[in-house]
Amino acid sequence: MKSYPLILDNFSVTLFDRTLFNIDSFIPEPGTSTAITGMTGTGKSVLLNALAGLLPAYPFKLTGSMKLNGFYAYQDGVKTNYKTWNQIRQKGIVFVPAESAQAMNPSLSLEQNLKLLAPDSHDLIEQRLKEYFGIDFKKFTKFYPDEVSGGELQRITLMILLSRQGGLLYLDEPTVNLDRNLRKRFIQFLNKEVLTQKDKTILMASHDIDFVRALSMDTIIALEDGQLKYLDALPESSGYEKPKPKEITGPGLELQKVSQHYKIRGLFGEHDFYAFRKLSMKFSESIIYGILGPSGCGKTSMIRSILRLIDGTTGNIVLDKQNLVELKQKENGNDPVAFKPFRKKMSVVQQDSRFAFFPDLSIRDSFTQIYPQQSFGAVDDNYLLKNYMDKLLLPFELLEKLPRNLSSGEMKRMDILRSLISKPKVLLLDEPFAHIDFKTRTLVMQTISEYLAKNQVVVLVVTHEDFDLKYFIDEDLDFLSIADNKQRLTHRK
Amino acid sequence: MKKPFNYLKNFCIFLLVSPFLAVWVPSILDGLLTDLTPAYRSSLVLSFQQLSITLLATLLFAASITLTLGYISILWSIIGKIIASVLEAIESVPAILIVLFSYAPVSGYLASHSEASSSVVSLMIFVFAATLTILPESIRGITLPLGELYYQKYSLSFRSYGFRRRKILAVLMGTDVMRHAFKRIAAGILLKILVLDCSFGFIIQLGFGSYGTPAHASPGALIAANRDALFQGGSPLLFWLPVLPLVMISIAFLLILTNSKENEI
Repeated sequence: MKSYPLILDNFSVTLFDRTLFNIDSFIPEPGTSTAITGMTGTGKSVLLNALAGLLPAYPFKLTGSMKLNGFYAYQDGVKTNYKTWNQIRQKGIVFVPAESAQAMNPSLSLEQNLKLLAPDSHDLIEQRLKEYFGIDFKKFTKFYPDEVSGGELQRITLMILLSRQGGLLYLDEPTVNLDRNLRKRFIQFLNKEVLTQKDKTILMASHDIDFVRALSMDTIIALEDGQLKYLDALPESSGYEKPKPKEITGPGLELQKVSQHYKIRGLFGEHDFYAFRKLSMKFSESIIYGILGPSGCGKTSMIRSILRLIDGTTGNIVLDKQNLVELKQKENGNDPVAFKPFRKKMSVVQQDSRFAFFPDLSIRDSFTQIYPQQSFGAVDDNYLLKNYMDKLLLPFELLEKLPRNLSSGEMKRMDILRSLISKPKVLLLDEPFAHIDFKTRTLVMQTISEYLAKNQVVVLVVTHEDFDLKYFIDEDLDFLSIADNKQRLTHRK
Repeated sequence: MKKPFNYLKNFCIFLLVSPFLAVWVPSILDGLLTDLTPAYRSSLVLSFQQLSITLLATLLFAASITLTLGYISILWSIIGKIIASVLEAIESVPAILIVLFSYAPVSGYLASHSEASSSVVSLMIFVFAATLTILPESIRGITLPLGELYYQKYSLSFRSYGFRRRKILAVLMGTDVMRHAFKRIAAGILLKILVLDCSFGFIIQLGFGSYGTPAHASPGALIAANRDALFQGGSPLLFWLPVLPLVMISIAFLLILTNSKENEI
């Protein structure tokens, strides 16, 4: 008799009063791989967390039953006892979370972490890291997680987790923080080393249709309207019709020999570390610039130095004939009077929009605090707000909710809305679409393009996603090339 | 289901700290403890009265300093580094030694003055010394979550909107995360002061008997004074009567601590 590693029976998860999904039955074939796609906020990550037994009892409410590795993991929505879960884990469950680096224990060295997480796979991990990610693990063994760059830590963690022994493997958005090159290598690795293993049953949640398409998965499922729907083929990602941007009349934003350095604490005191040196670049209005480059190459530092939110910037950042570096030389938690008008001209949307609003205030109250000059008292009071909420398909009820009660897609759209109603002259987008599905992404891109059609604005987008390059970006720049002052790699579409 | 459980938990905490209330309302104890000598009975009541004053005074004093220094440490990082170095130095000295050293300059005064004035001075010294010993941990309890909220999460967004750092920090200090941190710090302060007060009183009683300083009463001293009752005759009740409320109060503080940790998750 065939033994199924996972059986879901009438399994549902409710968050507060919202049912995220209600799955009648789901029994993946042993040794197969299944991709779960779907829009942001449909509950893909919640499902994987529930399957790994990591979902907290509050605020989530579960019903139905789940069998893992032949044991009841949940019965009538109640998690079974520790002993049963221990037996389930002994048979092997590997969970690779979206923020995979969080799996590492910060108080242990990387070598100790490896021994703890994958004690039998040391040589295999070393070999895989070298082959697929170009990392010599021997050089990292004595480092602690906070002593290596974010990109290095993510690659090492991914490889450690994916080399663990276990019959059930869950991957939650594994490519979110990988740059383009690493993503390609990671796809190669998954296809060659992981998806070929027939002793593993693999479930992967991803909103990235292009990524799923590049993998040789056996089954593709969409999580839609709380149900799992089997797909014969992945939907084709489509763009949108871009309106003509407003004509260029102003000089835009210019970076003249801009360098950014940090103080790094070392064995013999502090020393300077350069994120980038002598960066010279002109960014015109009405063109969407895509800044590309590997993780940790200084793209985000450039955004922060333009915003004048970090110390250690030299050179000139010129906006409206004024040098912003001179206007604000030091970040001490306050803006000089001369710089304040420029603060209002610039707006940023970060990769993680969870922290764009006050944590314990409703979205409406946050807006009132952020833009006291605008009236957000009643919805009808603000035409701009109403207009963008309609465009971004955001229901007005969301204004009364706390940020933590919004899904990541809703938060992202709300953050873009927040950014656009400030009518910025410089719009800085730092990997703004990393966590959102293509449908939502297209909607947001279209809204920004429409803003460009009516306003003269400089737009810089830090990204490493092909979809963004294909449909949104007008001109792409290799950050490493421009930051090293070599010839820039660019093409106008 | 969570709400009734919380009510029950809060009721249990109230019951566990009730000895503090009882010692301030003598009528509650009227019918109880009638077998005890009046001297022991008044020592017991007085020691818990003074312990409650010590705890409350230290909590208020330490909490206000903790909040101020924690906020300043994140607002001005240079001052934060200086404060961290000073606290590190304090932390390297055992708490009981800090309290002993603090009493050294005033021991002559305490021995030569009236009981009332010496009790007040003794209490003040103890509050000061105890605050010193708990500051490193309690300030860390503020700066770690506040620093994480500011530097890792909200600073870039809110600074880019034009908010000043002090305004952002003020808002973050009022968030749920920080409220739970304050609650945890308060419970930690109370627990540590309880242990410090009783162990200090115990040691002084062992070393100096009734001639020792501090002059303010402590259940620890009462336990030490009646320690022989357990094995060398006498009523064991004299030993256990101060121990039992202390255990109850400690459990209450531990419950508050675990409560805050659960909420943090």
